Amino acid sequence: MPSKDKNSMQLLQGTLDLIILRTLSAMGPRHAYQISTRLQQVSDSLLQLNQGTLYPALVRLEQYGWIKGSWGMTENNREAKFYAITKAGEKALAEEKARWRQMAGLVERVLLEEH
Amino acid sequence: MRAIRRLVIRMRSLFTNERQEAELEREIAGHLSFLEDEFRSQGMSAEDARLAARRAYGGVDQVKQMHREERAFQGMARLTMDLRYAWRQLRQSPGFALMAVLMLALGIGATTTIFSIVEGVLLRPLPFPEPGRLMMLGDVLEGSNCAFCSQPRVTATDVRNYMRDSHSFTHLGGYQEVAYELSGNGEPLAIDAARMSGETFAALGTQPLLGRVFTQAEDDQNAPLAVLSYGLWQTRFHGDAGVLGKKILLARKPYTVIGVMPRDFAFPLIQGRLDQSQLWVPMSPEPWEFAAGSAASWRMRMVGRLAPGVTPEQAQQDAERVAQATMRDYPAFMSSLRIRAVVKPLREDTVNGARPLLRTLFFAVVVVQLIACANLAGLLLVRSIGRRREIAVRMALGARAGALLRQAVVESMLLSLAGGVLGLMLAWMALRVGVSLLPETLPRLQEIGLDWQVAIFALAVAVLTGFVCGLAPAFAAIRTSVNETLKQGGRTGTAGGGHTRLRTILVVGEIAVAMVLLTASGLLLRSFEKMREVDPGFQPDHTLAALYVLPLMHYATQDGIDRFNDQLLEQLRALPAVKAVGISSMLPSAGNSIGVSVIPDGYVSAKSEGLHMVAPSMVLGDPFAALGIRMLRGRAFTDADKAGAPLVAIVNHKFAEHYWPGQDPVGKRIRRGMPETVSPWMTVVGEVDDVKLGAADDKTMEQFYQPATQLVASEGALASAGELDADDGWIVVRSAVPPRQMEDALRSVVQRIDPQLPLYQMQALQDVVAESEAPRRFNTTLITSFALAALLLSVLGIYSVIAFSVAARRQELAIRVALGCRRTRILRLVLTSGLKVALAGCALGVLGAAAASQLLRSFLFGVSPFDPLVLGLSALGMLSVAFLASALPAKRAALVDPLLAVRSE
Repeated sequence: MPSKDKNSMQLLQGTLDLIILRTLSAMGPRHAYQISTRLQQVSDSLLQLNQGTLYPALVRLEQYGWIKGSWGMTENNREAKFYAITKAGEKALAEEKARWRQMAGLVERVLLEEH
Repeated sequence: MRAIRRLVIRMRSLFTNERQEAELEREIAGHLSFLEDEFRSQGMSAEDARLAARRAYGGVDQVKQMHREERAFQGMARLTMDLRYAWRQLRQSPGFALMAVLMLALGIGATTTIFSIVEGVLLRPLPFPEPGRLMMLGDVLEGSNCAFCSQPRVTATDVRNYMRDSHSFTHLGGYQEVAYELSGNGEPLAIDAARMSGETFAALGTQPLLGRVFTQAEDDQNAPLAVLSYGLWQTRFHGDAGVLGKKILLARKPYTVIGVMPRDFAFPLIQGRLDQSQLWVPMSPEPWEFAAGSAASWRMRMVGRLAPGVTPEQAQQDAERVAQATMRDYPAFMSSLRIRAVVKPLREDTVNGARPLLRTLFFAVVVVQLIACANLAGLLLVRSIGRRREIAVRMALGARAGALLRQAVVESMLLSLAGGVLGLMLAWMALRVGVSLLPETLPRLQEIGLDWQVAIFALAVAVLTGFVCGLAPAFAAIRTSVNETLKQGGRTGTAGGGHTRLRTILVVGEIAVAMVLLTASGLLLRSFEKMREVDPGFQPDHTLAALYVLPLMHYATQDGIDRFNDQLLEQLRALPAVKAVGISSMLPSAGNSIGVSVIPDGYVSAKSEGLHMVAPSMVLGDPFAALGIRMLRGRAFTDADKAGAPLVAIVNHKFAEHYWPGQDPVGKRIRRGMPETVSPWMTVVGEVDDVKLGAADDKTMEQFYQPATQLVASEGALASAGELDADDGWIVVRSAVPPRQMEDALRSVVQRIDPQLPLYQMQALQDVVAESEAPRRFNTTLITSFALAALLLSVLGIYSVIAFSVAARRQELAIRVALGCRRTRILRLVLTSGLKVALAGCALGVLGAAAASQLLRSFLFGVSPFDPLVLGLSALGMLSVAFLASALPAKRAALVDPLLAVRSE
C-alpha cells in the first residue's frame, strides 16, 4: 500500500503514465533515475513523489508492451536499466494525449461556466 | 488484448519470482547510487549522501512490495500462502477441523437432500415445453360445495363448446381418466387410461417416442386408436418396436396401437399418485354424453396452450363468453344451474396443494442451516480464544493486522468450503439411497435429483458464515491489547468474557431454533395420532375391496348386468369365512366420492345456500355390514328394493341433521337434480352413521345411499337413453380371515362368472385407509427429519462448545483438583453449565414455537399449536440430549490429571 505524502500534488490516474511515455518519446531511452529527475524538472518540483513510486508505473507500462527495458552502461560506467518507448507505446501516447486534451478542455469549459 | 497480455505476464511472474526479484534489487541499487552521486556532487559526505538518497527514494521495502504487487497477482500468491498456512493450522487441531467440517456437511447434506426430494416430487416444472403457457380450463358451478370442485371440471358439452368457440388457445382439448380392461394379448389387465381430445396432445407439445399420436380429425371420426405409455409398452409389450399397428382390446373393443410416449411423459398429472395413465385413446364422445344427466355431469377436464400474446385474463374472459352461451342453451331440467369459467395455470393445479408445505419446509431448511452455521461460529469462537495468545505473539513480532484477519478468514472459509463440498457429496449419496426407499406412490420419483438452487444457497450461507465467523474472532483478538494477552499467559481459556457470552448466545440460539422444529414435528406427530383416533364411521379390518367395470360390449343389457351382479353376490356369500358381501360405487377413505345435487322434501333453503350437493353411493347386497357402517335408524336395503319397486334411500347422520334437524328422517323424501328437474321422490328408509370418504382429517360429507338397480329410475329426466344400472362398483367382502387370504377366492369367483373380467385395485380396506393417511404421513416424516437433523446438529453444537471450553480450562480444573476440589463437583460444574444453556435455549424455543405456529396451523389436526404435552416433551427431549452432550466432556473434565497444574509453564 503506497503511503501518500499529503504535501505533494496528487497525480491523476494515468497521468504518470502519460508523462513517462512523453519523456521517453521526446528524449529517447532513459533509466529510472533520469526519468524521475526529468519529472521533477518538468513539474518545477511540485511533484514531490518518492522516486520509488515510479517503479510500479514502469512495470505496468512494460507489461502493456508500451516500453521496453534493457540493461546497459551509463556514461560514467554504471549499469542501469534503460527504458525505451515501443511502437505500441507511441501509438498509445498519441491516444492518451488526445484523450488528455479532450478531458482538459472539458474540465476547463466546466470551470469557465462557473463564473 | 492489453489486459490479457498483462494477465499472462503476471501469471508467469508468479513462477519467475526469484529472477524478477534479483533484477529489481539491481535496479533499485542502481537508482540509489545515482541519487547518492548527485547528493555527493552537491558536497555531502558519503554517509550523508547515502541517507539523503534513501530519503529521496522512499522506503526501499515498500517500493519493492509495490513493485511486486504491480507485477504479480499478488492476491493469488498471498492466497496460496495463506491456504498453506491455514492447512498447517488445521492439521494441528484435527479434532476441531473434523468437527467443523462434519457439522457443516451434515447441515448442508441434510437440508439439500430433504429439499431436493420435495422439489423433485412437488415443484419441478411440468415436463412439457413452455409449461407456463399451459392452462387448465373449467367451470365453477355456482352454489356447489367446493369440496367437490377443487379442480375445475367440464361437461362433454363444455369440451365441445370451448374447443369450438374460444379463440385464446393455439390448442385446447378435453380429457377424462378412465379404467379399462386391456386384453387381446395375454391375460386381461386392468389399466388406468385417459380419453383425450386430439388437440390435447398438441397442447401438451410432447413428441411421441415411437410412431405418432392421434389427431383431432381422428378423434372426431371415432377412430379406434391407442397411444401407449412407456411403462405399459415395456411391461406388456416388452419394448417391442413392432407394437405399432397391433390391435389390442380395450373393454373388449379393438383399438390399433399407433404410438408410444417417452418415459417421462405423464398426463393427466395426479398429485401424490404414481398410477398415472398407461394409455391414451381419442375422446370421441358418444351422443348420449351431450344429453340428459351427462350434460349436467362435470366429470371431464380441459387443458390448453395459450396463443401467443394472449394473457390468462384475456383467455378467462374469452372462456367466460363461451360459458355464458353454453348456459343459455341449457335444457329445462338444468336451467337453474349457473357456471363461471376459470382459466388457471396447469402448474398451479398440480402444485398448489403443496404451497403451505413448501413454505414450512423452506423455514425448516433455513433453521437447520442456521444451526449448522451457529455451530461453526461457536467452534471458531472457542478456537479463537485458544489462539489469542498466538495471535498476540505474532502481532508482537510485527505481523500486520490485515494479514492476520486475512488468514483467519481463509482458514474458516477453507473449513466451510470443505464442509459444503462434503455436504453436497453426502446429499448426492443420500438421494441415491433415498429415492430407492421412498414410497412408490410418490409421483415423478425418477426425476428427483440434487436441487442446485438449495445446494448453492446452503453453500453460500456456509461460506458467509465462514467469512463472518472467521473475521469476528480475529478482530476481537486484534482489538485486545497484545500486552494484556501475553501477560495473561496460558490461562486464556478462562478469560475473554465477551467471547464466552457470544458463544453461549449462539448455543442458546441454536437450541431455541432446534426446539421450534422439534415442537413442530411433535405437533405434526400428534396431529397424525389424532387423525388415526378419528372414528371413520366404518371398520376397515377384515375387509377386502376390489373394483370391477363391466365392459359395455359384453354387458349391453340390464339383464346381463343384473345376472352378473346376482351371481357375484350369491357366490361370494357362499364362500367359507365370508361374513358379509356388498357392492358400492363409493369406497370409504378412497377419496373417490362425487357430488350430486338433490332436493330434500319439505326443506326451505336459504337464498344463499345454492345447490344441495351430497355424495351418493349406489349399493347392492349388504354394504353396511360388509363395511361395518352402523345403522342408526330404520332398516338396511333388502333384495326387495330392486328396479320397479318403490324408490328408497338411506341417508347419513349429517344429511339428516342438516335437512331435518331433530326429526326422524325415516319416511322423508329426497329426489335427484335441481328444483326444475323432473325426477321421482325416493323415500328414506334408514339413517346410517357418517363415513369418512377421504382421509380421516378431511371434512365429513352429507351422503345418501340407494340401491344401484334403482339409479336410472331415480334420475328421471337426468337419465340418458340406454343408460344402464350397476355396471361397475367396488366389491367389498368382510371375512373371518385376514383379507389377503380372500384375494384368490374373490378372483376365482369373478373368473368363474366372466373368465375375462379383470379386477382393479384389489386391496385390504386397511391399506386404502393407510393410503389416505399418506399425505399427512409424508408431511410429518419430512418435518420430523428436519427436526432430527436440527436436534443432531444442536447436540453436536452443545457438545463441541462444552468439550472445547473444558479442554481450554483443563489447567484451571487441574489446579482445582490439586487444591482438593472433589471430582463430582467438577462433574456437576460442567453439567450445570451445559444445562443452563439448554434451559435458556428451551425457554426461548417455546417462544419461537409460538411465533412459528401460524405457519404450521394449516397442517394441524385436533391439536392446539400450544399443546402443553408437545411443548413439554420437546423441552424435556432437548434438555436430556443437552445433558448427554455435556456428560462426555464433563466426565473428561472430572478425570483431569492434577499434575497438569504443575507441568505446563
